[in-house]
Amino acid sequence: MKAAVAIGGTGALSACLNRESPDLPQGPDDPATSPRQHAWNDALARDEHGNHVPPRHHVVRLLDYQGEGTPSADERETLETALRSLERAYPRSHEGEDGHAVGLLFTVGYTPAYFERFDADLPESVDLPDPEPLAPFENPTADTPDVAVHFASDYGSVLLAAEEGLLGEREAVNGVELDADVSGILADSDLDDDGRTRRTGFIGDGLPAENQDVQGIPDSEPVPEDSPLYMGFESGFEGSQASEDRVTIGDGPFAGGTTQHLSAIELSLGQWYEQDSRFHREAAMFCPAHAENGRIDGTGENLGATNGVSACADDVESDAREKGIVGHAQKVASVRRDGQPRILRRDFDSTDGGRASVHFLALQSGIGEFVATREAMNGTDAASEGAVGQRTNNGILQYMSVERRGNYLLPPRELRAFPRPQP
Amino acid sequence: MHRRKFLAAGAAVTAAGLAGCRSMFQTRSARSPPLVEDRPNAVYVPTHVEGMEMVGMGGAGDYQVALTYSFPHRFWTVDVDQRNKIEIQGSDTMHLMTTVWDPETGTVVPNNSVSMTVERDGETVVDRPLWPMLSQNMSVHAGDNVALDGDGTYEATVEVGPVSARTTGAFQGRFAEVGSATFTMDFQRSTLEDISFERLQDRQGELGAVEAMEMEMMPVAQLPEPADMPGTHLGTAESGDAQFVVLRTDLPEGIESDGDAQSYFAISPRTPYNRYPLALMALSARLTRGPDELFATSLQPTFDPDLGYHYGVAADPQDGDDLRIVVDGVPQLARHEGYEMAFLDFEDMDLTLSA
Repeated sequence: MKAAVAIGGTGALSACLNRESPDLPQGPDDPATSPRQHAWNDALARDEHGNHVPPRHHVVRLLDYQGEGTPSADERETLETALRSLERAYPRSHEGEDGHAVGLLFTVGYTPAYFERFDADLPESVDLPDPEPLAPFENPTADTPDVAVHFASDYGSVLLAAEEGLLGEREAVNGVELDADVSGILADSDLDDDGRTRRTGFIGDGLPAENQDVQGIPDSEPVPEDSPLYMGFESGFEGSQASEDRVTIGDGPFAGGTTQHLSAIELSLGQWYEQDSRFHREAAMFCPAHAENGRIDGTGENLGATNGVSACADDVESDAREKGIVGHAQKVASVRRDGQPRILRRDFDSTDGGRASVHFLALQSGIGEFVATREAMNGTDAASEGAVGQRTNNGILQYMSVERRGNYLLPPRELRAFPRPQP
Repeated sequence: MHRRKFLAAGAAVTAAGLAGCRSMFQTRSARSPPLVEDRPNAVYVPTHVEGMEMVGMGGAGDYQVALTYSFPHRFWTVDVDQRNKIEIQGSDTMHLMTTVWDPETGTVVPNNSVSMTVERDGETVVDRPLWPMLSQNMSVHAGDNVALDGDGTYEATVEVGPVSARTTGAFQGRFAEVGSATFTMDFQRSTLEDISFERLQDRQGELGAVEAMEMEMMPVAQLPEPADMPGTHLGTAESGDAQFVVLRTDLPEGIESDGDAQSYFAISPRTPYNRYPLALMALSARLTRGPDELFATSLQPTFDPDLGYHYGVAADPQDGDDLRIVVDGVPQLARHEGYEMAFLDFEDMDLTLSA
């Protein structure tokens, strides 16, 4: 199913439907929901520890406005109508035969490049700079489409149908005639360095193990069967996630919206799985104290709803000096504000291009919150102590390479169709 | 399925291919003799010494880079202060190495942010960071065992990240950007098998080290003898089989004195015998003069054209001062055979300074 999502297109969809054939109800006739596009949590299942379970399949489409100048009122209405059609076609979630499942969730985001089409500037209440490198050792390409549409579902076939429906490649989805589509208005972006305009992926127990025959993962098939991500550990602990309230823009015309950062990160896990010790993996992902005290069983599901690194978050400097290694979660926890994480992760793993990678999608009230979190992850202070390198033993930096970065504004729902910078 | 795995499965491998494989494995085990029994907790002479093949040299931003290779090696990474042995994997073809230096001074840069991509016909065969490593005959380098896809022409790209140490003097503001260099590597197994290999049965396990291999145009990261270091040599302490050379110099450009200090206090830790700098460690020091404590502080890793890689702080050490050196974190360098037993267990070192 993941493969079908990665390939996309009508052929993939029929293959997908044959295998999956979800018996999904249609969505509501009047799909008025939260004013926040990013309010997904109410549609997600929770695991036994209370962690929100992300949808298993994801696609982000990066699109350019096809007209000259700025979108017209008619085009704005067409996009909104098309989006509402998708909401009428699929439920956000439903109780299926296998329990709670996500039908279709999506958001629509806009880049700084999109807003440059207008004469007016975005209000100061929106923190949306152009994407730039966020570490001295990275050199990512900036993604500058106009629009990013993020689709998520527990069913791969739903994603494929939804993106085809939106872009006018099919007239009905899940038995619902679409009242509009955006063909002629939005099309795949022309990204620098041949960037992919379809970013696909998955998250959830078993999916990484099923999809580990890719560049970046050793041939020994080391990814644990029950891991939700390639690196073999749980993430998305409720205690490490910002709340939806926390990441929502509070003031100004875009109040109720949020910002989205989307990076494409390639993974190189040969050393991680074939050379590093289990001790090293635990210390690098969480913190040295977790590894020394044997706090992590398997993928770390035993940790429950919190990764428990708040106790070692203050030890980054001393661990760097005395242990010669600092943990990823430990560094990131050190920039919590009022004890709260600053970003809400909605990232997923990917086989795009035959390469193990992560589409790191994060929501925050302003891009500055993401930058602060990423700077903590860089561990520059830890590296200046001597025993920890710029990337060596510095969390998981050694195993990842950021290839692309993009910043987006997710307006509140009422402004989701071609917003003006001063609505 | 990866080509590598396909070959391993063996269904379509020809007899000639199999024979080649077998001889490859035989050669490899012959070139990886059993470790010395009862290895000393010190630098010791390894079981063997082997040569390396030069692929080429090229500029990468501020850096000059050499790409070399040898047989796959066993080596050790460090978990806090414990050894983690890296065994040779069945698929490993070679030990691929880079040496990075400043083309202006010829100083080897102990960079810990080197990564490697190897492609063949547009397909990526290797893509990983390299371990910062220490080897007796191959000196300070970054390397790893990698699997290629048989004989042929490969394109290898080395990416060198910024130096995390403070830079001083003429190095100020340099080594701050990512640089990359691409090499064409024409690889033949026969070349690998022709690389020199010498058992050291008479000497293996003895305290000592084999000498650095000299390669034309490629510098070796060897520090001067203590007396030949810049400034005033105030003493040398030893622990963990490392030597800690204590120096007073003029303040290098780029270091602000936060008090009255007019001079610079530097410790140059190095391996015995070959005098390779020991990077990726955490050092602190306490200096007292009679009843007065002059400082008790961590020392900042610093890369200077005159002092090389060292650890220092602005201070005015004098004859007769008492110094305590503490290794807070052991060098997190990966080690080739002969270095894996040393530089892991350090005592605090006390000495009275004497010019």
